[in-house]
Amino acid sequence: MKTSYSQILLVDDGGFFPEDDVHEPFAGFLMDGMKLLGTDAVGVGDRDLRFGISYLKARATRAKLPVLSANLINKFTQQPALSPSVVKKVGTVKVGVFGLISDKADLGPSRDTLLVQDPTVIAKRTVADLRKQGATVVVLLSQLGKVETEDLVAAVDGIDCVIVGRNVPLVQSGRMIKDAIAVYGADQGQYMGRTILSLDAARKATAKQSEMFLLSPEVGENAQIAALVKGFEDKFNEEEKKREQQRAVEQQKADTGNNPDHFVGVEVCSRCHTQEAEQWKTTKHAQAWQTLVDAKKDATPECVSCHVVGYKQAGGFQNGTETPKLGNVQCENCHGMGTNHEAFAANPAKITEATCVTCHNPERSPTFNFATYEPHIMHQFSGTMPALPAHPNTMGGH
Amino acid sequence: MKVLASRLAVASALALAVWVTLTGATAPKTSQLEPDKLLILSTVDVKGKTSPCG
Repeated sequence: MKTSYSQILLVDDGGFFPEDDVHEPFAGFLMDGMKLLGTDAVGVGDRDLRFGISYLKARATRAKLPVLSANLINKFTQQPALSPSVVKKVGTVKVGVFGLISDKADLGPSRDTLLVQDPTVIAKRTVADLRKQGATVVVLLSQLGKVETEDLVAAVDGIDCVIVGRNVPLVQSGRMIKDAIAVYGADQGQYMGRTILSLDAARKATAKQSEMFLLSPEVGENAQIAALVKGFEDKFNEEEKKREQQRAVEQQKADTGNNPDHFVGVEVCSRCHTQEAEQWKTTKHAQAWQTLVDAKKDATPECVSCHVVGYKQAGGFQNGTETPKLGNVQCENCHGMGTNHEAFAANPAKITEATCVTCHNPERSPTFNFATYEPHIMHQFSGTMPALPAHPNTMGGH
Repeated sequence: MKVLASRLAVASALALAVWVTLTGATAPKTSQLEPDKLLILSTVDVKGKTSPCG
């Protein structure tokens, strides 16, 4: 892409903070990473306020990253809590970028010091201000959600492009809303929006088109950045592993004698279900744990939960040291807890798509298709084995 | 690194490395390729993700 275009604006719409406290270090790391990548502007969503406005501002200052929200106001000073907008010179184009947050947003621990002003009123004022500053192209980083964004863009003139965030579904091609092109969805960095504006002599946008594209391996990667990411992730995984072992010891003490029902592991099941166990050993499910160990993600909670048996349940997998026999996706993931065997032995539950999608959901396993995948784990299958997608190893090794 | 690259299949993550390749953020933007076009690259709701599980 860099060989095709010299005028590139790089933005993140916001909502990049992690969804739980455990992953707090990822917030700062991502901001540093965005700066390293030359990100021109960043929006703000509910998620980015989860550790407080001071936390966000401190990280933004450290990273020297323009984090924008035009309608997020300090209740006491009545001034914007963050920079409302920025004008960037991109080649020959002056681009004005501003951010908006939903007035329904959860403002997190700073809710007592923040307020959200009416997005439409603020948008009209900000667009006018950006035009006055000479911006010939205006981009909105919206964290308003789909419907609210569309309503706003329909009511506010002068927006050329809007990036639509806050739990918005993926739409492959951008849609025009009046004169603005709207770029929709695709969270967790699976896709990137690619919007091309054609410019006239006055550097105003005359034609607009946009497509989402998948960040697949074919896109390539930068070795230096990849090493940086890997180093950070490995360190996080090691630290989380230590914390997890400590938690497991405490949990085990609390659980002792209290849980007659527990997971038994494939070794117990295979004493009777020999053929099924042998077939299972040939599946990717039987290597699920090792893929995490190899990737050093074996203490990363959102990964571990779908690579082991009964994660964090009573008598289930705790960590690789305490409960190694419950690593991998085993019999009990699909068929139920072993100590309940008497209940389901006479009436075995049929494995359906619903069984699989607890892990093979669109976020973790976007290429999952039940009809294609099921034969690969069936204990008895006759016929032509359907080929898995070219890249079945999406998040979680699925 | 090739091992890591192979694990980025259908990346469900921010894929910083991929991003930098796409944007050329580490390369100077001095030439005038497509001078009448502005390319906007965008991500949204990354949710703290940096790479796939394995």
